[in-house]
Amino acid sequence: MNELLQTLILGLLLGGVYALAASGLTLIFGVMRVINIAHGAFLILGAFVTYWLWDGFGVDPLLAIVLTTPIVFALGWVTYWVVVSPVRTAPMASTVLLTFGLALVLEGAMGEIWGNNSTAIRPAYGDESFTLGELFLPKAQVYGGLIAVLVLVLLWVVLTKTWLGRAIRAAATNPSSAELVGIKVAAVAALVFALGIAAAGAGGAITGVLYPFVPGSHYQWIARLLAIVVLGGLGSLNGAVLAALMFGLAETLTSAYVSPAWATAVPYAIVFAVLLIRPQGLLGTRLREDAVAA
Amino acid sequence: MSHVPSRQGLSALALTGVLALSLAACGGDDSGSDSDGPITIGTSLPLTGEFSQPGQAAEQGYQIWQDMVNESGGLLGRDVELIVKDDASNQNTIVADYNALIGQDEVDLLLGTFSSLLNLPASAVAEKNQMLYIEPAGGSPEIFSRGFQYLFFAQQATADRQGLVFADWVAGLPEDERPQTAAYPTLDDPFAAPVVEGAREALEAAGVETVYEETYAIDTRNFDTIVSAMKSADPDLVFHGAQFEDGVGMTRSMLKAGFAPDMFFQTNAPSFGDQFSEGVGADNTEGVFYAVSHHPDADTPGNAEFVRAYEEEYGGVVPEDAADAYAAGQVLQAAVEAVGSIEDQGALADWLRENEVQTILGPLSWDETGAPTGEFLIGQWQDGEAQIVLPEEASTAEITRFWTPGDAG
Repeated sequence: MNELLQTLILGLLLGGVYALAASGLTLIFGVMRVINIAHGAFLILGAFVTYWLWDGFGVDPLLAIVLTTPIVFALGWVTYWVVVSPVRTAPMASTVLLTFGLALVLEGAMGEIWGNNSTAIRPAYGDESFTLGELFLPKAQVYGGLIAVLVLVLLWVVLTKTWLGRAIRAAATNPSSAELVGIKVAAVAALVFALGIAAAGAGGAITGVLYPFVPGSHYQWIARLLAIVVLGGLGSLNGAVLAALMFGLAETLTSAYVSPAWATAVPYAIVFAVLLIRPQGLLGTRLREDAVAA
Repeated sequence: MSHVPSRQGLSALALTGVLALSLAACGGDDSGSDSDGPITIGTSLPLTGEFSQPGQAAEQGYQIWQDMVNESGGLLGRDVELIVKDDASNQNTIVADYNALIGQDEVDLLLGTFSSLLNLPASAVAEKNQMLYIEPAGGSPEIFSRGFQYLFFAQQATADRQGLVFADWVAGLPEDERPQTAAYPTLDDPFAAPVVEGAREALEAAGVETVYEETYAIDTRNFDTIVSAMKSADPDLVFHGAQFEDGVGMTRSMLKAGFAPDMFFQTNAPSFGDQFSEGVGADNTEGVFYAVSHHPDADTPGNAEFVRAYEEEYGGVVPEDAADAYAAGQVLQAAVEAVGSIEDQGALADWLRENEVQTILGPLSWDETGAPTGEFLIGQWQDGEAQIVLPEEASTAEITRFWTPGDAG
């Protein structure tokens, strides 16, 4: 019983971090119909910026999120206007290729700046845990999970309770009608892209504390994050959170009760199975185009 | 119907023209076969990606070997020029790289890459082209089961023998000091898995009961669940088959879970000197065992000069992988100088099969398959320093039994 409880706790903590990392990816797709392959690279960039603040200035890596996130937000905003904006309305294949290229450029730049050696952020609490009877809750994971929930709630409030959120949802649902009522869709898209990248940056700060990383680590992250947002339903924030928790639980439960050898494969098998039954993902909306195509 | 070429048509025409010109330019390059110019030696290393840690260390080792050879008059009187490509830790890229080194760059000689995973396909390209392939890493027994004629491994022993010296020492401990139970978490990797398999068989034969044995995939980042299961099994000894990042990740997860078995052996990661102690925290290294091919203080031919050159050029503790790469260069050099020519690579291979080569790792010799016939050294972290503890005749410090994280000076 203890082992099951321990596995569930570790799975939920892992899923919380996945949720934060995936939220930006699904947000960007929801509004812009851009699959941002560079999302994992921005996540690793967030980890490196955090490392730079921690190693160079002694800033606590998790508290550094208040600095990391605006830095990565600004980078996202500039990236949008310089790189993404010219092809925003191009076919999806073009934006996939473009953002893949962007990921490679970022990987190369990070390698030049910070080197290609494995980097670890180790605050004092990084190797400590809270204990609850026989259960252990890694401190960094607990703090990271709480921060992830906080950022996700903030994101949800912005999207559902503010005028900006209404503008974002209007631009996502019907861009031309949104323009007619005075919403500058291009400006909203820039903001959403930057917000999405900032969420990746915050996720990167947390994952950087949890796991060692190299510039090339983004390949593993983008594979996981894409699977999570597809499982949740492309464009659905709630779906991404649900799918991320399922993904985290599937990884830890498989590792504990089947074999660690299958831990990273089984979640993808679940994605495959769900998509056979619900091609639009768990909470995705089936569009008229999908119905026609079917 | 219009006869004016379309925009796409013109673009295609222009692209074809550029391609044709580029190919013509490539066709004119015959630099590799120039007998008065430098001897070109090609390699492709994982300078980025999962194996960037050993890849970059290997590049440093090769560069130092190149510089030292050139400073002492070159190879057969000609300068040595390394051509290094980056395979990004990718098995497909490395095949393309070695094909390009042989076909386009027309290199005179080859040197191997890092990790068994990448040496497996790369050595097949060399064998197909009948070129000598000396690998500084790649000790998986699978590599030597293919009947290759041009392949040689420039370390003391294959992976399945890497943990045997340690296992024999454990087996020889008095019964009240010998661990009763052991756990074997292993990366799914052609190098790490055979190390663990070899050690497990030897330890089981010595009566050490296996209480946990699992393999995990290369993209595993989260080790908390594995550690939780190991903690429940409560082993006296953890023998971990790892590369670098997962070695650091597993150790940190063990620390987080408050799980410190009496003895802790890990492959690869602890041999990375400062990088390992920075990754897991210097005070958590105390007592960690690992198998290693090189020690900076070893009294082997040329070792002091190599270590001095490394420290001058790069600073810090010499990583084992830089030393292994340097030793691979020494093996290549010995064969070329003994045969006196690089034209017949079969003759170079024949010479290596019949002779022993003195390297900074000690004397190396090979069997018919190119597998080395020696034994590894066993290292242990003590007071924040990497020491050699086995075999006794090569030891730099006395062996201690326990892993005591938080205790190193």
